[in-house]
Amino acid sequence: MTQTNSRKPRPKLLRRVWNWFWSPIAVFSVGFTLLAGFLAGILFWGGFHWSMEMTNSEEFCTGCHTMETNLGEYRETVHYNNHSGVRAICSDCHVPKEWNHKVKAKVMAVKDIYHELVGTINTPEKYESHRLHMAAQTWKKMKQSDSRECRNCHNFDYMDFTIQETRAAKEHQRAIDNSMTCIDCHQGIAHRLPEGYLDEYKRVVEEVTMDMVSKPHKDAAISTKEILGYLSFKETPEG
Amino acid sequence: MLELLGTIAGNVLSLPGILGLALGMTTRNVFLAAGLGGLVGVVETIIFASFQMTNVDMMELSISVAVGILAGALGSAIRIKGTTV
Repeated sequence: MTQTNSRKPRPKLLRRVWNWFWSPIAVFSVGFTLLAGFLAGILFWGGFHWSMEMTNSEEFCTGCHTMETNLGEYRETVHYNNHSGVRAICSDCHVPKEWNHKVKAKVMAVKDIYHELVGTINTPEKYESHRLHMAAQTWKKMKQSDSRECRNCHNFDYMDFTIQETRAAKEHQRAIDNSMTCIDCHQGIAHRLPEGYLDEYKRVVEEVTMDMVSKPHKDAAISTKEILGYLSFKETPEG
Repeated sequence: MLELLGTIAGNVLSLPGILGLALGMTTRNVFLAAGLGGLVGVVETIIFASFQMTNVDMMELSISVAVGILAGALGSAIRIKGTTV
Protein backbone atom coordinates (compact mmCIF):
# COMPACT_ATOMS: atom_id res chain seq x y z
CA MET A 1 0.00 0.00 0.00
CA THR A 2 2.77 2.39 1.00
CA GLN A 3 4.62 1.56 -2.19
CA THR A 4 1.53 2.40 -4.27
CA ASN A 5 1.23 5.80 -2.52
CA SER A 6 4.88 6.62 -3.03
CA ARG A 7 4.46 6.04 -6.78
CA LYS A 8 1.61 8.53 -6.99
CA PRO A 9 2.67 11.27 -9.40
CA ARG A 10 3.41 14.64 -7.88
CA PRO A 11 0.59 17.12 -8.58
CA LYS A 12 1.30 19.88 -11.06
CA LEU A 13 2.30 23.31 -9.81
CA LEU A 14 -1.13 24.91 -10.22
CA ARG A 15 -2.80 22.03 -8.34
CA ARG A 16 -0.23 22.29 -5.53
CA VAL A 17 -0.80 26.05 -5.24
CA TRP A 18 -4.58 25.46 -5.21
CA ASN A 19 -4.27 22.82 -2.47
CA TRP A 20 -1.96 25.04 -0.45
CA PHE A 21 -4.38 27.98 -0.81
CA TRP A 22 -7.27 25.98 0.65
CA SER A 23 -5.35 24.14 3.37
CA PRO A 24 -5.96 25.23 6.97
CA ILE A 25 -3.47 27.50 8.67
CA ALA A 26 -1.81 25.73 11.55
CA VAL A 27 0.74 28.31 12.55
CA PHE A 28 -1.24 31.57 12.68
CA SER A 29 -3.83 32.51 15.27
CA VAL A 30 -7.28 33.72 14.20
CA GLY A 31 -6.42 37.22 15.45
CA PHE A 32 -3.19 37.31 13.48
CA THR A 33 -4.96 36.16 10.31
CA LEU A 34 -7.75 38.71 10.75
CA LEU A 35 -5.37 41.58 11.46
CA ALA A 36 -3.11 40.64 8.54
CA GLY A 37 -6.14 40.40 6.23
CA PHE A 38 -7.42 43.73 7.49
CA LEU A 39 -4.08 45.45 6.90
CA ALA A 40 -3.71 43.83 3.49
CA GLY A 41 -7.23 45.04 2.66
CA ILE A 42 -6.36 48.61 3.60
CA LEU A 43 -3.16 48.46 1.55
CA PHE A 44 -4.94 46.99 -1.46
CA TRP A 45 -7.91 49.33 -1.36
CA GLY A 46 -5.75 52.39 -0.65
CA GLY A 47 -3.44 51.45 -3.53
CA PHE A 48 -6.33 50.80 -5.86
CA HIS A 49 -8.03 54.08 -5.04
CA TRP A 50 -4.76 56.01 -5.26
CA SER A 51 -4.03 54.51 -8.68
CA MET A 52 -7.51 55.39 -9.87
CA GLU A 53 -7.12 58.95 -8.63
CA MET A 54 -3.85 59.23 -10.56
CA THR A 55 -5.79 58.58 -13.75
CA ASN A 56 -7.85 61.70 -12.91
CA SER A 57 -4.88 64.06 -13.14
CA GLU A 58 -4.57 66.51 -16.02
CA GLU A 59 -1.13 65.12 -16.87
CA PHE A 60 -2.57 61.64 -17.28
CA CYS A 61 -5.55 62.78 -19.37
CA THR A 62 -3.43 64.83 -21.72
CA GLY A 63 -0.55 62.35 -21.86
CA CYS A 64 -1.76 61.04 -25.20
CA HIS A 65 -0.85 62.87 -28.38
CA THR A 66 -4.48 62.99 -29.52
CA MET A 67 -5.52 65.01 -26.45
CA GLU A 68 -3.35 68.00 -27.38
CA THR A 69 -6.13 69.68 -29.36
CA ASN A 70 -8.58 69.37 -26.47
CA LEU A 71 -5.98 70.69 -24.05
CA GLY A 72 -5.17 73.73 -26.19
CA GLU A 73 -8.83 74.68 -26.50
CA TYR A 74 -9.53 74.14 -22.81
CA ARG A 75 -6.58 76.37 -21.84
CA GLU A 76 -8.29 79.31 -23.48
CA THR A 77 -11.44 78.97 -21.41
CA VAL A 78 -12.64 80.31 -18.09
CA HIS A 79 -12.41 76.83 -16.59
CA TYR A 80 -8.60 77.01 -16.93
CA ASN A 81 -7.86 80.64 -16.05
CA ASN A 82 -10.18 82.97 -14.21
CA HIS A 83 -10.22 85.79 -11.67
CA SER A 84 -10.96 83.53 -8.69
CA GLY A 85 -8.15 81.04 -9.30
CA VAL A 86 -10.44 78.03 -9.15
CA ARG A 87 -9.68 75.52 -11.88
CA ALA A 88 -11.74 72.66 -13.23
CA ILE A 89 -9.50 70.03 -14.79
CA CYS A 90 -10.55 67.33 -17.31
CA SER A 91 -11.75 64.86 -14.69
CA ASP A 92 -13.89 67.45 -12.90
CA CYS A 93 -16.15 67.62 -15.96
CA HIS A 94 -15.68 64.16 -17.47
CA VAL A 95 -15.37 61.80 -14.49
CA PRO A 96 -18.26 61.38 -12.05
CA LYS A 97 -17.52 61.66 -8.33
CA GLU A 98 -19.90 58.87 -7.27
CA TRP A 99 -18.10 55.54 -7.01
CA ASN A 100 -20.42 53.46 -9.20
CA HIS A 101 -20.56 56.04 -11.99
CA LYS A 102 -16.82 56.66 -11.69
CA VAL A 103 -15.87 53.00 -12.20
CA LYS A 104 -18.27 52.81 -15.13
CA ALA A 105 -16.68 55.91 -16.70
CA LYS A 106 -13.20 54.47 -16.19
CA VAL A 107 -14.10 51.19 -17.87
CA MET A 108 -15.73 53.02 -20.76
CA ALA A 109 -12.62 55.19 -21.15
CA VAL A 110 -10.72 52.08 -22.29
CA LYS A 111 -11.99 52.94 -25.77
CA ASP A 112 -9.79 56.07 -25.69
CA ILE A 113 -6.68 53.88 -25.43
CA TYR A 114 -7.84 51.84 -28.41
CA HIS A 115 -8.46 54.96 -30.51
CA GLU A 116 -5.08 56.40 -29.49
CA LEU A 117 -3.39 53.19 -30.64
CA VAL A 118 -5.19 52.97 -33.97
CA GLY A 119 -4.88 56.72 -34.54
CA THR A 120 -8.56 57.54 -35.02
CA ILE A 121 -7.99 61.25 -34.35
CA ASN A 122 -4.22 61.59 -34.71
CA THR A 123 -4.28 64.36 -37.34
CA PRO A 124 -6.10 67.73 -37.28
CA GLU A 125 -8.23 66.60 -40.25
CA LYS A 126 -9.26 63.37 -38.59
CA TYR A 127 -9.93 65.24 -35.35
CA GLU A 128 -12.21 67.73 -37.08
CA SER A 129 -14.09 64.98 -38.88
CA HIS A 130 -14.82 63.30 -35.53
CA ARG A 131 -15.39 66.44 -33.49
CA LEU A 132 -19.15 66.56 -33.88
CA HIS A 133 -19.53 62.87 -33.03
CA MET A 134 -17.30 63.16 -29.96
CA ALA A 135 -19.12 66.28 -28.79
CA ALA A 136 -22.50 64.59 -29.28
CA GLN A 137 -21.42 61.65 -27.13
CA THR A 138 -20.50 63.97 -24.28
CA TRP A 139 -23.67 66.04 -24.65
CA LYS A 140 -25.75 62.89 -24.51
CA LYS A 141 -24.04 61.75 -21.30
CA MET A 142 -24.54 65.18 -19.75
CA LYS A 143 -28.15 65.45 -20.82
CA GLN A 144 -28.89 61.97 -19.46
CA SER A 145 -27.23 62.71 -16.11
CA ASP A 146 -28.80 66.17 -15.76
CA SER A 147 -25.31 67.69 -16.13
CA ARG A 148 -24.23 65.88 -12.96
CA GLU A 149 -20.56 66.80 -13.26
CA CYS A 150 -21.33 70.52 -13.82
CA ARG A 151 -23.44 70.45 -10.68
CA ASN A 152 -20.50 69.30 -8.55
CA CYS A 153 -19.49 72.98 -8.60
CA HIS A 154 -22.47 74.90 -10.01
CA ASN A 155 -25.83 74.67 -8.31
CA PHE A 156 -28.95 76.74 -8.93
CA ASP A 157 -29.62 76.70 -5.18
CA TYR A 158 -26.35 78.53 -4.47
CA MET A 159 -26.66 81.11 -7.27
CA ASP A 160 -27.27 84.70 -6.30
CA PHE A 161 -29.13 86.05 -9.32
CA THR A 162 -28.83 89.61 -8.02
CA ILE A 163 -25.10 89.67 -8.70
CA GLN A 164 -25.34 87.93 -12.09
CA GLU A 165 -25.66 89.82 -15.35
CA THR A 166 -29.32 90.55 -16.08
CA ARG A 167 -29.37 88.26 -19.11
CA ALA A 168 -27.68 85.40 -17.24
CA ALA A 169 -30.02 85.73 -14.26
CA LYS A 170 -33.05 85.77 -16.56
CA GLU A 171 -31.88 82.70 -18.48
CA HIS A 172 -31.01 80.79 -15.31
CA GLN A 173 -34.45 81.52 -13.89
CA ARG A 174 -35.98 80.30 -17.14
CA ALA A 175 -33.85 77.16 -16.96
CA ILE A 176 -35.14 76.44 -13.44
CA ASP A 177 -38.75 77.08 -14.48
CA ASN A 178 -38.46 74.76 -17.49
CA SER A 179 -36.37 72.02 -15.78
CA MET A 180 -33.54 72.58 -18.23
CA THR A 181 -30.03 71.33 -17.60
CA CYS A 182 -26.65 73.10 -17.91
CA ILE A 183 -25.64 71.50 -21.22
CA ASP A 184 -28.87 72.68 -22.88
CA CYS A 185 -27.25 76.13 -23.17
CA HIS A 186 -23.59 75.71 -22.32
CA GLN A 187 -22.27 73.51 -25.09
CA GLY A 188 -18.77 74.55 -26.12
CA ILE A 189 -17.89 75.81 -22.65
CA ALA A 190 -14.48 74.11 -22.70
CA HIS A 191 -13.90 72.99 -26.30
CA ARG A 192 -14.54 74.55 -29.68
CA LEU A 193 -17.96 73.87 -31.17
CA PRO A 194 -18.12 71.89 -34.40
CA GLU A 195 -20.09 73.03 -37.41
CA GLY A 196 -23.73 72.04 -37.30
CA TYR A 197 -23.68 71.60 -33.56
CA LEU A 198 -27.17 73.00 -33.00
CA ASP A 199 -28.81 70.45 -35.28
CA GLU A 200 -26.77 67.69 -33.68
CA TYR A 201 -27.71 68.84 -30.19
CA LYS A 202 -31.39 68.83 -31.18
CA ARG A 203 -30.92 65.27 -32.38
CA VAL A 204 -29.28 64.32 -29.07
CA VAL A 205 -32.15 65.88 -27.11
CA GLU A 206 -34.68 63.98 -29.20
CA GLU A 207 -32.75 60.72 -28.72
CA VAL A 208 -32.56 61.19 -24.96
CA THR A 209 -36.25 62.12 -24.90
CA MET A 210 -37.18 58.93 -26.70
CA ASP A 211 -35.27 56.98 -24.05
CA MET A 212 -37.08 58.88 -21.32
CA VAL A 213 -40.49 58.33 -22.86
CA SER A 214 -39.88 54.59 -22.82
CA LYS A 215 -38.46 54.92 -19.30
CA PRO A 216 -40.21 57.68 -17.28
CA HIS A 217 -37.61 59.77 -15.51
CA LYS A 218 -38.26 62.62 -13.11
CA ASP A 219 -39.53 65.67 -14.95
CA ALA A 220 -36.87 65.92 -17.66
CA ALA A 221 -39.28 64.94 -20.44
CA ILE A 222 -41.63 67.80 -19.58
CA SER A 223 -39.26 70.46 -20.81
CA THR A 224 -38.16 68.85 -24.07
CA LYS A 225 -40.41 70.93 -26.31
CA GLU A 226 -39.29 74.10 -24.61
CA ILE A 227 -35.63 73.09 -24.91
CA LEU A 228 -36.03 72.35 -28.61
CA GLY A 229 -37.86 75.65 -29.05
CA TYR A 230 -35.10 77.44 -27.24
CA LEU A 231 -32.43 75.80 -29.40
CA SER A 232 -34.11 76.86 -32.62
CA PHE A 233 -33.96 80.51 -31.49
CA LYS A 234 -30.41 80.33 -30.18
CA GLU A 235 -27.86 81.76 -32.57
CA THR A 236 -24.58 81.78 -30.68
CA PRO A 237 -23.21 79.58 -27.91
CA GLU A 238 -23.12 81.04 -24.47
CA GLY A 239 -20.17 80.96 -22.10
CA MET B 1 -21.16 47.04 -24.78
CA LEU B 2 -18.72 49.28 -22.91
CA GLU B 3 -21.60 50.69 -20.90
CA LEU B 4 -22.62 47.18 -19.93
CA LEU B 5 -19.07 46.22 -18.93
CA GLY B 6 -18.70 49.48 -17.02
CA THR B 7 -21.91 48.88 -15.10
CA ILE B 8 -20.82 45.34 -14.24
CA ALA B 9 -17.38 46.54 -13.08
CA GLY B 10 -18.99 49.32 -11.04
CA ASN B 11 -21.16 46.79 -9.24
CA VAL B 12 -18.39 44.24 -8.71
CA LEU B 13 -16.32 46.92 -6.95
CA SER B 14 -19.29 48.32 -5.08
CA LEU B 15 -21.77 47.02 -2.50
CA PRO B 16 -23.22 44.07 -4.47
CA GLY B 17 -19.77 42.67 -5.20
CA ILE B 18 -18.04 43.33 -1.90
CA LEU B 19 -20.84 43.20 0.68
CA GLY B 20 -22.55 40.42 -1.31
CA LEU B 21 -19.36 38.34 -1.13
CA ALA B 22 -18.93 39.09 2.58
CA LEU B 23 -22.53 38.13 3.37
CA GLY B 24 -22.18 34.99 1.27
CA MET B 25 -19.19 33.97 3.37
CA THR B 26 -21.38 33.95 6.48
CA THR B 27 -23.46 30.94 5.37
CA ARG B 28 -23.06 27.49 3.84
CA ASN B 29 -26.51 27.74 2.26
CA VAL B 30 -25.79 28.83 -1.32
CA PHE B 31 -29.37 29.91 -2.00
CA LEU B 32 -29.55 32.03 1.14
CA ALA B 33 -26.21 33.59 0.22
CA ALA B 34 -27.39 34.34 -3.33
CA GLY B 35 -30.58 35.86 -1.92
CA LEU B 36 -28.63 38.08 0.45
CA GLY B 37 -26.39 39.20 -2.41
CA GLY B 38 -29.40 39.95 -4.61
CA LEU B 39 -30.96 41.95 -1.79
CA VAL B 40 -27.79 44.04 -1.50
CA GLY B 41 -28.07 44.68 -5.26
CA VAL B 42 -31.62 45.98 -4.86
CA VAL B 43 -30.71 48.14 -1.86
CA GLU B 44 -27.70 49.64 -3.61
CA THR B 45 -29.68 50.56 -6.71
CA ILE B 46 -32.32 52.26 -4.58
CA ILE B 47 -29.67 54.16 -2.63
CA PHE B 48 -28.07 55.39 -5.87
CA ALA B 49 -31.52 56.39 -7.17
CA SER B 50 -31.93 58.62 -4.10
CA PHE B 51 -34.73 56.35 -2.80
CA GLN B 52 -37.02 57.25 -5.73
CA MET B 53 -38.34 54.35 -7.77
CA THR B 54 -38.78 56.63 -10.80
CA ASN B 55 -35.00 57.08 -10.90
CA VAL B 56 -34.34 53.34 -10.95
CA ASP B 57 -32.89 52.14 -14.24
CA MET B 58 -34.07 48.58 -14.89
CA MET B 59 -30.81 47.58 -16.59
CA GLU B 60 -28.74 48.83 -13.66
CA LEU B 61 -31.07 47.11 -11.20
CA SER B 62 -30.84 43.82 -13.10
CA ILE B 63 -27.04 43.99 -13.26
CA SER B 64 -26.76 44.91 -9.56
CA VAL B 65 -28.97 42.00 -8.56
CA ALA B 66 -27.15 39.57 -10.87
CA VAL B 67 -23.74 40.66 -9.55
CA GLY B 68 -25.05 40.43 -5.97
CA ILE B 69 -26.40 36.91 -6.53
CA LEU B 70 -23.14 35.72 -8.08
CA ALA B 71 -21.03 37.36 -5.38
CA GLY B 72 -23.20 35.87 -2.64
CA ALA B 73 -22.99 32.39 -4.16
CA LEU B 74 -19.22 32.76 -4.57
CA GLY B 75 -18.93 33.85 -0.94
CA SER B 76 -20.85 30.77 0.14
CA ALA B 77 -18.63 28.54 -2.02
CA ILE B 78 -15.58 30.07 -0.34
CA ARG B 79 -17.14 29.32 3.04
CA ILE B 80 -17.81 25.69 2.07
CA LYS B 81 -14.40 25.11 0.56
CA GLY B 82 -12.35 27.16 2.99
CA THR B 83 -13.75 26.31 6.41
CA THR B 84 -14.55 23.25 8.46
CA VAL B 85 -17.30 24.90 10.53
